[in-house]
Amino acid sequence: MSTNLLRLALKNIASRRTRSWLTILGVLVGVTAVVALLSIGTGVQEAVLQQFEDIGYDIILIAPFNTAGGRMAGAMGGTPSGGIAASGMAGRLGATGPTASGASSTGGTFSPQNLTGGNDDPSPSGSGTQTFDSQRSLGTGLDAELLLTQVPQLVEAGTLGTQIHPVDAGTTSGFLRVSTPSLEFLEAFPSVLGGFQMAEGTTFTSTTENQVVVGARTADLLEIHTGDTVDISGEVFTVVGILEARESSDEAAESEESNPLTGQGLTRSLGTSQTTNLITRGLGNTDDALFVLYERAAEVLSGREAMSVTITRVEQGASISETMDAINVAIGQQDATGTPISIQEVADEIQGTLGLIETVLASIAAVALVVGGVGLMNTMYTAVLERTREIGILKSVGARDRQVMTLFLIDSGLMGFLGGILGLVLGSVLSFFGTRLLGPSLGVGSFSPVISIGLVLGVLAFSFVLGAFSGAWPAWRASRLNPVDALAAE
Amino acid sequence: MLVLTDIHKTYRMGETDVLALRGVSLDLPPGQFSVIMGHSGSGKSTLMHLAGCLDVPTSGSVAYGGRNLTTLSSRERADFRSSEVGFVFQKYNLVGNLSALDNVALPMLLRGTSTTQAHEQAHAALDQVGLSGRTGHRPSKLSGGEQQRVAIARALVNDPSMVLADEPTGNLDTATGDLILALLRRLPQEDKMVLVVTHNPEIAETADLLVCLRDGRIESAQSQDAQQTHASQKVAR
Repeated sequence: MSTNLLRLALKNIASRRTRSWLTILGVLVGVTAVVALLSIGTGVQEAVLQQFEDIGYDIILIAPFNTAGGRMAGAMGGTPSGGIAASGMAGRLGATGPTASGASSTGGTFSPQNLTGGNDDPSPSGSGTQTFDSQRSLGTGLDAELLLTQVPQLVEAGTLGTQIHPVDAGTTSGFLRVSTPSLEFLEAFPSVLGGFQMAEGTTFTSTTENQVVVGARTADLLEIHTGDTVDISGEVFTVVGILEARESSDEAAESEESNPLTGQGLTRSLGTSQTTNLITRGLGNTDDALFVLYERAAEVLSGREAMSVTITRVEQGASISETMDAINVAIGQQDATGTPISIQEVADEIQGTLGLIETVLASIAAVALVVGGVGLMNTMYTAVLERTREIGILKSVGARDRQVMTLFLIDSGLMGFLGGILGLVLGSVLSFFGTRLLGPSLGVGSFSPVISIGLVLGVLAFSFVLGAFSGAWPAWRASRLNPVDALAAE
Repeated sequence: MLVLTDIHKTYRMGETDVLALRGVSLDLPPGQFSVIMGHSGSGKSTLMHLAGCLDVPTSGSVAYGGRNLTTLSSRERADFRSSEVGFVFQKYNLVGNLSALDNVALPMLLRGTSTTQAHEQAHAALDQVGLSGRTGHRPSKLSGGEQQRVAIARALVNDPSMVLADEPTGNLDTATGDLILALLRRLPQEDKMVLVVTHNPEIAETADLLVCLRDGRIESAQSQDAQQTHASQKVAR
């Protein structure tokens, strides 16, 4: 019997094409919005968390600032703005001279975007010098080896220094970030530097020769390859390797276009810019840096220390919070400064914030869905009024009240369901393009929308229930009509 | 046998109570062609609705085959209409978005009969009323006479024991009206009870039982024999 009613409902929908499609459109818009926002939101969440997973949840960073402080992320020079500005720098170098205008405008940070030119003598001048000097005290002062003995839960520890140096590659020059990992650090924590995978050449082969490994974008900017030499603060280094690109230049460009003011992306907008930028953009951004072994840097680039981060790995099974407490005690004992940051805690914090954003966005989208439902209810109510006589006919030929109600419920439920299917398809398409557009501006590179089976089934079930629920009252009203009165309706 | 006993029916129209039927009692046996006549507002259609279980009386009882229909639930009344009653209306009352075939099959589809079987029987019913070539047409593509024949086919498709027709020829020309009347007139031969509400005296002349209503009461009820005697007396004068 229900099959017959389904067939009758389908014929009814088909016979009122225009109105049916307009009603379906209302549901479609709502479902599209919900699907697009949820799938993009989940995709962003997974992409961001993947970055932390890549680094490792057993890592604790010790940063040279208090969590309320605010100087380090910029000093690391690894934010998208640093990288993108460096892109812009290529075109501006070598034209007007080595002025470093406005370098201090970001509160003691250095950004190559502030450069307007470069030549054979790219030494800093003016406010740039002041900025450089201000960075010299930005280190934890921690002894990593001593820390290992103080905190038994730690299995590895190492320090990564970061300096800003004038770099001259012959054709182009400018101030660039130079990271100084030790050999031990590279062996213990390659994930912190995005895996430190070579696209060209090899990693460091000697601690006694001036060797440099160059980030992908920096290599493009400086137009250098393995075997070339670059001048770093007057010292000649040989390029032994070029790292694999972590973010495509297109993505970087899109990132710049879509968020030109800050370039900090999602992590900053989440209000956790300092910590998360350090992790996802500062350390993880190897594209915009040069790498010199700590052992060589200490020898030939001494006195240029801008800041340093101590990185530790917690023993498997050890409590993160207890380890962090122990690290705090150790920092005090060493009379050093620094704040331990657990990758796990930061990831949890971001996950929570992203989940909240996702919920808010989905709630907003749900409003569109409710509006679609109200439209459906309006259509069904009008249909009951229009089809009053038909209801009388159905009852005169033996239709029960429940059958009349079911017929109208199927009618509205089917329209909701169709809206759900079409909304799902359109939402998926939109989310696919949405991720392409949003990825770079959110600071997570390219990522894919997550359209889970749960989302698909949930949306289809919800849209059918929404349709049926919207049609419930009109359907109930239809079923209660007196057949004689219904037949008398014009 | 349909037995109506002391039927009263009152409608509420705004602040006023309208007495549509005032103590109507009537016996309608199977295999009889009965006609109810009367002026507008005399209660003809109300009587037909009560007989077909579309409505319930304010007081009195309607019984069919010994079963009291006035105490039935809404669902039981629907089932009774589905199995025992076929309605034919003046305005045809076909579902506009369904084809002639689907309109005729509708009562069977609502009873849960498979589409194939319902369509087979609908084809047969349409064939009976001479419309086998118009099965795929929607009501808007059919003439008034064709629509009424579709309505008759629909009324007959479930093989009901009573057919109730409200002004079945009211919207039709004479020739088409005669055709419809002929279709209805042959149903008592299949032992079906036919009750026709009409203003048309020509239909009344063919009735086995003619009931005249006036202001909600039976003014007269005459069998065909009595009608013929009455007619002979009129001719003799």
